[in-house]
Amino acid sequence: MWFEFFKFDLRYQLRQPLLWVVALALGAMAFGAASSDVIQVGGSIGQINRNAPMVIVRFLGVFTVISMFVVTIFIAGPVLRDAELGMSDMIFATPMRKHDYLLGRFLAGLTACLFIFAMVAMGLMIGPYMPWVEPDRVGPFSLQPFLVGFALFVLPNLLFVGTLLMLLAATTRSMLLVYVGIVAFFVLWIVANTLTRDINNEWLAALIDPFGMQAFGRAVRYFSTADANSLLPPIAGFILANRVLWSAIALALTLATLMLFKPQRAGTGRRLFGKSKKAPVSEVAPTVNIRSIQPTPTAVTPWVQCWSILRFDTKAVLKSVPFLVMLLFAIMNFFASVSQSGRTYGTDTYPVARSMLETLTGTFNFMLIIIVTFFAGELIFKERQAKIADVTDAMPIPNWAPLLAKCGALGAVILAFLSVGVLSGIIYQLIRGGAPIEVDVYIKGSLVGALPFVLSGLWALSLQIFTNNKFIGYLLMILFMVAQIVLSTMHFDHNLYTPASLPPLPYSDMNGYGHFWKGWSWFLLYWSLFTGGLMILAQAFWVRGLSQEWKTRVRLAQHRLIGSSGIALILCALGFMGTGVWIFYNTNILNSYRAGDVAMDRTAQYEKLYRQYKGAPHPKITAVNANVDIFPAERRVLIRGHYILQNKTTQPLDRLIMQVNEQVETTWDALPAHEVVVDDADFGFKIIKLNQALAPGDKLDLNFKVNITSRGFTNSGAADSVNLNGTFFNNATYFPRFGYNAGAELQQRTERRKRGLGEPERMAKLEDEPARAHSVMSSEADWVDFETTVSTSADQIAMAPGYLQRTWEENGRRYFHYKMDRPMMNFYAYLSARWEVKKSDWNGIPIEVYYDKKHPYNVDRMIESTKKSLDYYTREFTPYQHRQVRILEFPAYASFAQSFANTIPYSEGIGFIADLRNKDDVDYVFYITAHEMAHQWWGHQVIGAGVQGSTLLMESLSQYAAMMVMEKEYGREKMRRFLRYELDRYLSGRGGEEIAEQPLYRVEAQQYIHYRKGSLVFYRLRDEIGEVPLNRALKRYLQDKGFQEPPFTTSKELLEYIRAEAPADKQDLITDLFEKIVFYDNRVTEATAKQRDDGQWDVTFKLHLSKMEADGKGVESPRVYDEPVELAVFARGPSGKEEDEMVLWTEKRLISKDERVLTVTVKDKPFEVGVDPYNKMIDRVARDNRKPISFE
Amino acid sequence: MLSIQQLNKTYSNGVHAINNVSLDIPNGLFGLLGPNGAGKSSLMRTIATLQEPDSGRIEFNGLDVLRHKEELRRKLGYLPQDFGVYPKVSAEDLLHHFAVLKGLTQRSERKEAVEGLLRQTNLWEARKRGLGTYSGGMRQRFGIAQALLGSPKLVIVDEPTAGLDPDERNRFLNLLAEIGEQVVVILSTHIVEDVTDLCPRMAMISKGRVLIQGEPQAAIEGLRNRVWRKRIAKAELTDYQSRYTVLSTRLVAGHPQINVFSELPLTDGFVQVEPDLEDVYFLQLRAARGV
Repeated sequence: MWFEFFKFDLRYQLRQPLLWVVALALGAMAFGAASSDVIQVGGSIGQINRNAPMVIVRFLGVFTVISMFVVTIFIAGPVLRDAELGMSDMIFATPMRKHDYLLGRFLAGLTACLFIFAMVAMGLMIGPYMPWVEPDRVGPFSLQPFLVGFALFVLPNLLFVGTLLMLLAATTRSMLLVYVGIVAFFVLWIVANTLTRDINNEWLAALIDPFGMQAFGRAVRYFSTADANSLLPPIAGFILANRVLWSAIALALTLATLMLFKPQRAGTGRRLFGKSKKAPVSEVAPTVNIRSIQPTPTAVTPWVQCWSILRFDTKAVLKSVPFLVMLLFAIMNFFASVSQSGRTYGTDTYPVARSMLETLTGTFNFMLIIIVTFFAGELIFKERQAKIADVTDAMPIPNWAPLLAKCGALGAVILAFLSVGVLSGIIYQLIRGGAPIEVDVYIKGSLVGALPFVLSGLWALSLQIFTNNKFIGYLLMILFMVAQIVLSTMHFDHNLYTPASLPPLPYSDMNGYGHFWKGWSWFLLYWSLFTGGLMILAQAFWVRGLSQEWKTRVRLAQHRLIGSSGIALILCALGFMGTGVWIFYNTNILNSYRAGDVAMDRTAQYEKLYRQYKGAPHPKITAVNANVDIFPAERRVLIRGHYILQNKTTQPLDRLIMQVNEQVETTWDALPAHEVVVDDADFGFKIIKLNQALAPGDKLDLNFKVNITSRGFTNSGAADSVNLNGTFFNNATYFPRFGYNAGAELQQRTERRKRGLGEPERMAKLEDEPARAHSVMSSEADWVDFETTVSTSADQIAMAPGYLQRTWEENGRRYFHYKMDRPMMNFYAYLSARWEVKKSDWNGIPIEVYYDKKHPYNVDRMIESTKKSLDYYTREFTPYQHRQVRILEFPAYASFAQSFANTIPYSEGIGFIADLRNKDDVDYVFYITAHEMAHQWWGHQVIGAGVQGSTLLMESLSQYAAMMVMEKEYGREKMRRFLRYELDRYLSGRGGEEIAEQPLYRVEAQQYIHYRKGSLVFYRLRDEIGEVPLNRALKRYLQDKGFQEPPFTTSKELLEYIRAEAPADKQDLITDLFEKIVFYDNRVTEATAKQRDDGQWDVTFKLHLSKMEADGKGVESPRVYDEPVELAVFARGPSGKEEDEMVLWTEKRLISKDERVLTVTVKDKPFEVGVDPYNKMIDRVARDNRKPISFE
Repeated sequence: MLSIQQLNKTYSNGVHAINNVSLDIPNGLFGLLGPNGAGKSSLMRTIATLQEPDSGRIEFNGLDVLRHKEELRRKLGYLPQDFGVYPKVSAEDLLHHFAVLKGLTQRSERKEAVEGLLRQTNLWEARKRGLGTYSGGMRQRFGIAQALLGSPKLVIVDEPTAGLDPDERNRFLNLLAEIGEQVVVILSTHIVEDVTDLCPRMAMISKGRVLIQGEPQAAIEGLRNRVWRKRIAKAELTDYQSRYTVLSTRLVAGHPQINVFSELPLTDGFVQVEPDLEDVYFLQLRAARGV
């Protein structure tokens, strides 16, 4: 019997166009995600194979989450369908058994969903074999991950979601409640996600997630690339527990459904709101004499009608269940994410309006694309679906009125949706407090955010009208979205031909929308005109009354386009072409536009032509003197500079290899007599041969002029360094340079291979002695004398390294003359902005923070950190070489801080808005400031040679120095939290490695190594050999290598200094820490305790200890556990919290292989046992290092 | 006065839905009688400007309807056959909305018109309820209310009584009767009584052709003395059908009773009866089928 229901229902499902549309759409999405990085489903794939088993399983799992709403249609829908179609009485009157009915329907729905997932799997299978996918990112095909994915995620998740929906549908008989159920379900899921941010809630988080994705994520979290490409996590632990739990719940739900479902009650379900009213029936129709009221049409009548339809349709959408569900989902998504966004080391940022808007864009607004697509179809077919079209079509309204009304309704829906977003943002601001509610920023931000969706919505409307078939309309809209994505993967990325695409419009508190709005507005006008034309065409194709064949429609449309609408269409087309030409002129002629692949071809071409000059002997810059005039309002900079070059080699040099920024106009004044050898204006590359060679030790003066103008606007709308408020550029951007620019080389292996280039070389080998002739900072200079005069508009301050000699006003502009009193790195920046200034001093050295008036929050912390840093570094290392410190805020187009000599630009995006009101949080403003201050030593006193390991000398040592300052300020407990984040970021950074992981002393500017692993290594080293010896080593190193001329120092030399201070038994450890990639797996697997007769406690525990060494690709080999490990037994104070813990016993012990069960005696009642309890060693799972004790 | 001349429409599937139809429809109720699928709705939709004919002319009080659709729509009230509603919108709200679409843009006028029609259709008490809760009859009354918005000069109601119980049907027909003599009301139906009860003029239509048009009484007169009735046994039915022009068969107390058309007097148990419109209808349909 159930089979009959099943067969009937499945046939019904398979005939539904919706099923096919959904299956194809999700299949296409899977295909896109598997073949490119542009469509990302559940995070990027990283560097592992596109068809790695883990990737496939994760994709399948994530798709079960996003297909939730779809499952509702196919599983909950059938149960409610009979009632909706008025069939229920007929069906329930038959002598069927209810569980046959339910089972048949459910299985049919499930089969339909499995059909969708078969399409998804197909997309995943063929995606990686597309020609544009790099072949080395594709592993051998295996069916196993698909089977595992289906068995582990697809089937259990569909079962669970399906049974939940069945239960809701069968008991409530209301689609609204079913949707509410889904939303509740999402809450659960988001809660699980949120909980995992707090690393201590692992088990709970892994179990509470009904999709099991958290559990899966935990199991593969620290997979190396090699693991991920070949392995699947064992079905045990978190995964097994989670799957068993939720399958059991699914079973329970099924039973509950069977028990609670009462077919007799069909259609008598209680109303959700209010009571249902009975119609009073009056027997006799009263005769009413009504006055005959005839319409008197005027010119405004159509507009009033249009307005009425707009209001009517908007109200209907706003009150409809799908809209409310999506709105609710978006609100929840926003609130779940907003507290996380911008969080650094677990510390929040102030809820400024700018970051509220950014979070809304990422978590809330994107729902609009679904909303406009869906409701475009609903609005166009609204009358026809309700079978009311014949009535309305016969009403005296012009065709354009309903069309315009529906466009308006869609716009109103978008605005209503975004207004709720803004309201959510404001509510969050009120809850958190501390940041002003900037209504104007919200209004502007929402309008800017709304317009792309308005365009998409209008496209969706017109597609619905042209196709005159809702599902084909949806399908084309999906294709439209896919096209936008696919075009850009294929490097067709000009906004002129990517449908309805606008350049980004970044907002900064300092610079507002800056000059970016200009290009954005032109593109908006361009696509608006196109969309306007589309709407005029749509109006001509508007179907009224009986729908006609395409031929008739075209004839009718031609007829309708005669007259004013035709003229409007022509005007739109002309306007579109006109703005297109204007945009092209701006983006491609005034500015240069290169598609992604063309730009890479060019870079490859540069490398092929000029790599031969890499490392060619060249005179070095020894002095820079520049007059820099910044004109913020015109976004123009004029540099008149003077270099002194010196031949520091022992050979006469007659060639100058000059590299200028080809985007700006650079001219050399009065070059000495020469012949031109190479002059490639396209690359800004020029080689001249001097008639008179430069003898060793001789100097050469060069004068140049650089004219930086900003003309028109660009296609990418990418952040610029010259801004209306907040200009920030360094010398590498605009000043002329010398020698081949190796920094521009392509790094991605596949892109290099495609262009016939060899393996990427990020950095010279550590052993490359000739490379030590240059510092990592600059190959064209060692140390330079620096002097500059910089001017800006009267309302701004202009800034550059050096000491202010004089400032004056002239011709309505402000001038600042800065001069450095000692040679510095050839690395300097110019900034200009409207700043507030806060001044302080440390032992007579002025400390100044230049900040935007909106961001006064943490200025004092920065000053405090600067002082503490100066205290520690001058005491432990060497004296500070400068007499001032200046911190300068720049717009959030980039999020970093950078240390120039006595000058530290600091992005508004980090630190300035960190919310440090909670004293328990990690004060990362303090840490970043200390780190940048440390660079005045590590980077500006000692600089490494341009070989592997040089960023260890700069960044890892700055991390170490900053950690010491931070530890003195905040204590060890805070450091442990800080280091947990560092460990997490190191481990996840490994997964994104593009070439090979290096041991720390060979780091090739890999951030996850020199920052994150650097922190872990130095903190442990400090712990093992002590702060005093380590600092002594560093001090000696600074004294010996500071302000050094070439050959420059290397990480090897640093290690010699450290080894010299370390005891003999730590030498192997130093090797492991710096020269190898070593992991530990420390666990307490059992812990019991028993009270002795004398009142003391015997604690017995079992350990699992292993040590592994990894190669650059992540392939691991076991090592003998040859080092002592810290063991401890803890008790907890009365509060029972971790802050309150006491150490009952601790010892560092070398544990041999056969004594992994230990018993120790402690005085007080113990609470837990730990091995490496403070997580000082690099251990993939830090949590299992401690285990609470069970008592016998 | 609505005049239709040589109207033709053939659908892409080959169905000749309107076949050279010419009709003259004066003010007052006009019944358009025909079986399901006769082309009534096609004709109605064409008059209501929702469909283009292949050829022919339609004129309403001198207005060329096919060329000036917009103007006709200002004078038109239309209740289509398969008429739906927005289930969650109240009758009052939807009627207001329709009133605006009809061009009643002035608020006070609109309010008066809507209120009047709600009272007239006896929906006043139920005006705040969602239309989804309405019974079939109430829904049809709502349909006529919207059709009467703006005092149209041409009212087209397509199969309005199908599926209504006798009470509701009466109530509905009363409403139609009230509309008045000064407008053209076209009532399309397949129920003969609707026309008999209401319409001073009518046309019968089948397979897109007009079979007969004029006053019902005149058509009935044409059959006087030529309709005969007999009760027969079930088994004899086929035999009778082959021998006589059987117009209709109906069961009376379980036995078939047949009406037969015959120019010549019939004996053998046949009784002459007064013809009614139904007899005319069935005779015409038979004739049409024979063609």
